[in-house]
Amino acid sequence: MNPIINILLVLFAGSILAFGIDSINRKWTGWVAFLSVLLATFNLLSQTQASDVVFSLGGIRLKWGLSSLRLYFTYIIIILNLLAFLYSIDYMKGKARLGYFYSAFLLTVLGMFGVVISKDFVSFFIFWEIMTWSSFLLIIYNAYYKIKTEGLKYMIFSAIGAYAMLTAIVFVYHFYGTFDIATAIDQGVFSFENHIYIPLFFALAFAIKAAIMPFHIWAPSAYADSPMSFTSVFSGAMSKMGIFGLLLVLSTYYALHNPQAYIFTQILAWLGGITAAMATIYALIQTDAKRLLAYSSISQLGYIVVALSTGTKLGVMAALYLAVLHAVFKGALFMVAGAVEKQAGTTDMTKISGLIRKMPWTFFVALVSVIALTGIPPVGGFVGKWLLYEALITESNNYFLVIVIFFSSTAAFLYAYRFLFGLFLGQEEKETENVKEAPVKMLIPMLILALISIVTGIMPGLIFKPAAAAMREIGFENVNWEMTSLSNVWGNQTDLSLIGLFIAAVFVLIFIFLTFKGKKNTRYVGTKDISSSGELWKEGENWTFQQDFYKPFERAAAPLYKYKMNKIWEDFGNALEAFFNFFRRIYTGNGQTYALYVIGFLVLLLLFKDYIFR
Amino acid sequence: MVITPVHYIVAPLLAAFAIPLLSKIYKDAARVVPGIVLFYNMIISFVLMRQVLKHGMINEIIAGWQPPWGINLVLTPFTGFLAAMVSVMGFIIWLYGFRFKRTLKGGVVKYYEILQMMMIAGSIGVIITGDLFNMFVFIEIVGITAYSLTAFYRDRNGAEAGFKYLLLGSLASVFLLLAILLIYTQTGTLNMAQIAERMPEVSSGIKITALIFFLIALGIEAEMFPLNGWTPDAYEQAPSPTSATFAAVVSIAGIYALVRVLFTLFDVSGVHQYLIVMGFITMLVAEIAAISQKNLKRMLAYSSIGQVGLVLIAFGIGSQLAVFGALFLMLNHAVIKSLLFMTGSYFIYNSGEKRLEGLNGMHKRLPYVSALFSLAAFAIIGFPPFSGFWSKFYILIAASDQKMIFLIIGILLVTIIELVYYLRLVGRIYFAKEEMQDIAHKPSVNALVAMSFLALFIILIGIYPDIITGYINQAAAALLDKTHYIQQILANK
Amino acid sequence: MEGIGLKIFGAFLTAILAFTVGMFYGGLRRKITARVQNRVGPPVYQNFIDLMKLQGKQTNIAHGFMGHMAPMWIIIAAMTVLMFIPILHNGLWFDNLTFKGDLIFILYMMVFGSLGMALGAGQSGNPNSAIGVTRGLSLMVGYEIPFVLSLVAIMIQFHTTSLQDLMNYQYQTGRWIILDNPFAFLAALMSSLGMFRYSPFDIVGAPAELASGPVSEFGGKYLGTMMTGGSVFAFIKLVLIVDIFLGGAGNVHMSGLAGTLIGLGELLLKTFLLYMIPVFIGLVSPRFRTEQAIRFFWKWPTFFGILAVIWAVLHPVGS
Repeated sequence: MNPIINILLVLFAGSILAFGIDSINRKWTGWVAFLSVLLATFNLLSQTQASDVVFSLGGIRLKWGLSSLRLYFTYIIIILNLLAFLYSIDYMKGKARLGYFYSAFLLTVLGMFGVVISKDFVSFFIFWEIMTWSSFLLIIYNAYYKIKTEGLKYMIFSAIGAYAMLTAIVFVYHFYGTFDIATAIDQGVFSFENHIYIPLFFALAFAIKAAIMPFHIWAPSAYADSPMSFTSVFSGAMSKMGIFGLLLVLSTYYALHNPQAYIFTQILAWLGGITAAMATIYALIQTDAKRLLAYSSISQLGYIVVALSTGTKLGVMAALYLAVLHAVFKGALFMVAGAVEKQAGTTDMTKISGLIRKMPWTFFVALVSVIALTGIPPVGGFVGKWLLYEALITESNNYFLVIVIFFSSTAAFLYAYRFLFGLFLGQEEKETENVKEAPVKMLIPMLILALISIVTGIMPGLIFKPAAAAMREIGFENVNWEMTSLSNVWGNQTDLSLIGLFIAAVFVLIFIFLTFKGKKNTRYVGTKDISSSGELWKEGENWTFQQDFYKPFERAAAPLYKYKMNKIWEDFGNALEAFFNFFRRIYTGNGQTYALYVIGFLVLLLLFKDYIFR
Repeated sequence: MVITPVHYIVAPLLAAFAIPLLSKIYKDAARVVPGIVLFYNMIISFVLMRQVLKHGMINEIIAGWQPPWGINLVLTPFTGFLAAMVSVMGFIIWLYGFRFKRTLKGGVVKYYEILQMMMIAGSIGVIITGDLFNMFVFIEIVGITAYSLTAFYRDRNGAEAGFKYLLLGSLASVFLLLAILLIYTQTGTLNMAQIAERMPEVSSGIKITALIFFLIALGIEAEMFPLNGWTPDAYEQAPSPTSATFAAVVSIAGIYALVRVLFTLFDVSGVHQYLIVMGFITMLVAEIAAISQKNLKRMLAYSSIGQVGLVLIAFGIGSQLAVFGALFLMLNHAVIKSLLFMTGSYFIYNSGEKRLEGLNGMHKRLPYVSALFSLAAFAIIGFPPFSGFWSKFYILIAASDQKMIFLIIGILLVTIIELVYYLRLVGRIYFAKEEMQDIAHKPSVNALVAMSFLALFIILIGIYPDIITGYINQAAAALLDKTHYIQQILANK
Repeated sequence: MEGIGLKIFGAFLTAILAFTVGMFYGGLRRKITARVQNRVGPPVYQNFIDLMKLQGKQTNIAHGFMGHMAPMWIIIAAMTVLMFIPILHNGLWFDNLTFKGDLIFILYMMVFGSLGMALGAGQSGNPNSAIGVTRGLSLMVGYEIPFVLSLVAIMIQFHTTSLQDLMNYQYQTGRWIILDNPFAFLAALMSSLGMFRYSPFDIVGAPAELASGPVSEFGGKYLGTMMTGGSVFAFIKLVLIVDIFLGGAGNVHMSGLAGTLIGLGELLLKTFLLYMIPVFIGLVSPRFRTEQAIRFFWKWPTFFGILAVIWAVLHPVGS
């Protein structure tokens, strides 16, 4: 059977089964869900060559299929999900409504998979919506009071995006007579020559999903308030659906260079850049690790959009590479946050600190992922950063965008350090005395993700290979890539294997030197045993430095913090609500008024009948 | 026995008279017999629909009196479809409400099912009649039963709502009668086909005046803004099965009457634009009103008006695809909205209050009903893969064919409002803190079956709409093919 | 195999050179500061003595895993960057891996050490360490902006991201890049003031007031190793600017040992002169608060950086 159908069926059946089994034995729910994703993974890996599925539904021809580009995103989705489901088993242990959770989660996966395999707009939209509402169910899983504000925010923005897309879709059908994506693109549906709103509407939908400013305000809470095992997928894979869509839209311009398209990509690039910068500076003032990661996630997506908008070989490669890597390290980081939440009860950095000795493996994953996030060699993140900068500097002439990006990735050190310090370093407080390392089933997925980060730092070719195939599909012939080194169009080279080797060599030497020199008498001292300019620690005194962590930076960058998109949207919403409340008084509840309406309306119609009817 | 459309009317009428007698013998006759009748209606509607699709239109002349003096019942694919839909919904609502208030003592309760049955029969009558005056009569039957059902709980609010309904309903009757009178004086006939045939000869001034009277009168029945003041109160105060009937049956009949008059009788231009504009205003105002409601049933009532607005828009667009979408939406509205009322009724029953706070944390008490409610909410918002999506989608495609981009954007923006308040409800049910201790009133088996059936329908149609699109397509074609309709009926004479 | 052996030998030689020069400059600074302040001051080789003392000490206290790793990271970062920077143009043993990495790599690698240091300081649990780290990182956001602007300007002006290419250009034309893009040099120089963290940008360590933080938490081998790394880094920063803007070293057309020695002399001279700029500015400046420092970097240096980019676009040299 066709693997596409198989995977959809497996996921769907898993969703129903998980819901059912929850009422029989709660222990099995997670395993059933995991098993169904595992089956889907096997299906995908066993047959990557699938013929298209074509059938008619409601008089509309639907087409599902895989291609190298689609396969690329499918890998991101399926593999990240597999790990997230394994992680979920222990993470969700002891929580309520497991059936609900897993069932919605599997539907989300199904939606994401469906979006990627859809080759026509209708099924694209259908799966897009399934993905959206099932993820909404997961966002509101944790707290009711959120639904009124955060959950709805997500849903409203998603709906605006989805309906913009729907509008565009029906007009695509009207003008081009087809729902087929490839055909429509070939006929220039996204070119700016005619019907300018079609690409704009599509772009709006995707930009919202990718949390690009000024449509990002749903994202911080949605990411931070969902169960972490879902957030790792939400931020890691589902936001990539926005990127996937943007790639489809932008692929038209890569071949085509009309001025409107240029302006469009420039605007998009700057939006991405501003997103990256602003989200970063907001990330570093957060005190909750989850929110910090959420903002960080938004800023990372900003990079990807910038990379996409350059439209050059390196740029698109950077976008595809970052898409994977963001899924890897951000998935891992959210899992870390989840593990901390699970073990220590909170991720509020003002409440906990000094977990490094309690949760060393989690810390290791966090460390590797943070290094990947900040883009320090020799971990995979560097490759992405390198591709991005080289694309901007050597192939596109967006020099000032480079600065915006560089500003945000430098400022990213700040929040990256904040995250590590806030949770793992610093004083070991009494509250976290009894914290244990996360269970093995949670550690394994995190370690796998960390491993991917490390391996891709030395051998990015592992990702370049499918990425190059994907790029061929959207019109980039002859994409050059090497397994272990990077080179730009000016012929400069960075040899990653050599760097890795060198670092490893120095590491070993220094390690041996430092570790074995006078090891005998060295002992570990607690975090209270420190030199403190003469003051001594007294029982009950809190020496944790967590509040106002980057106050100096905040003061320096005060003008940047002035503008709050959130506030603008909130004011808008409140004004709308007030208007609605005023407007509904048309229905007075008074019979006489209603009768008056009828008579008045009759008089109106009679008065203006010549204008209305002919 | 040959099954003909007249059975639709005769069976309920007979039953209505027989029930008081039968109750002497069998205590529960007042509740059981209507069910049998409605079931019978459902069966014959299937049989007749089959027949219509196979052999073409059925035009039954009652008692041999030829039009224009006699009465004729017409079953085209269009009316047949609507009649089938209404009778199926009628039966399901009966099934749902079978054990409704059976413990309550009092006058009206006894006749509740009879009134309910007559309301449904009247609605079917509106749909299948081919005669204008007859339509008036059936509308009156529906009206009178509806007024009394609205005031079912004989308290202050119920009476007030019933009175408002009565007030506007009688206004509707007046104008309807006036319009019919005007038409009759000009064309000398009450048969709709004949009127349609003779309409071009009528002077435009009178024609338009008559049209406006029709628009007012049927606009009231079809819940068009600003004539729909009765709707929220009536929906709120009526017992829940009746509210469901209002949404699934009465409003369908109202829309049918309006559309039939506008599409078949008149050949005035500007009607389509009027429908689109008024439909949009109806929808917008209703959804705006709905979002700030504090009462569940009122909210659902406003939401119903909103759906009706969308249906009117779709009819206003007027292309085959748009009418197809409109009919699909009517079907969806009937199914989904009645499911919402049915499930919502259990929430109110359990919490004992109609305010939204009553929904808090209901999923713990009524897990299955809550799931159904959420499903219906998702479907009515138009999330795929539920049935609501397809109707909206077709209407949008039809609108795009006319390049009405602002209409599309408008519809979708209003949908966002809808989405907000429905999701708030779902959130309330699943995530709000509840503070109840008493035992849950679990739904009875018959109600569960009825609700599950509707839910199954929503999902099935959502995943595979082809089950039903064929019928709807023929129905839409039948409505739009006016000349065929006239010819067939006149040839039968 | 002989090639590799030579390479390794060269690498060690480079490391020793960088270490020695860095330590020596540090000592020199102490001496100069003392003389300006009318003190006698420690001898120039005081740093070597300090280091020897530190390494000779028994280390009794460790601050956990990251505390153990921090000095290591500094050394790793310093060594790696050193290997990817050309020390001399015709350097016999100083080429190392220069063709295998570009400016962006160097830029990011330089941060690696600071991050390690920050993490190590963090694990000690000393609140003052963390405060210092936040100041340092904030400051970094300040000075990196003009620095990167100037590097970007150079990259687009010369169409290369390789340091070696830049040196070759200066060698072949005999024209220093400071003449091709003076604004870039200004921006880089001003931001290098922040990199050295001497006064007025010494709020990070706040050396005069706080006897607490990393310096007091790390001792013995750890402090010694950190000191070594810091010295090498000081050398690296100087060489980087000399290489990019001041023509690099080793421009004499002489082969063999003599050429190398003359080149080394040139390098020492240029780096020494360059080093005196932050040292003397530090001597006469009071201290900035963190936000003042950041603001400073975002004002004039950034302005020059932007000018540099515009200049580079207008006057492409290209290869």
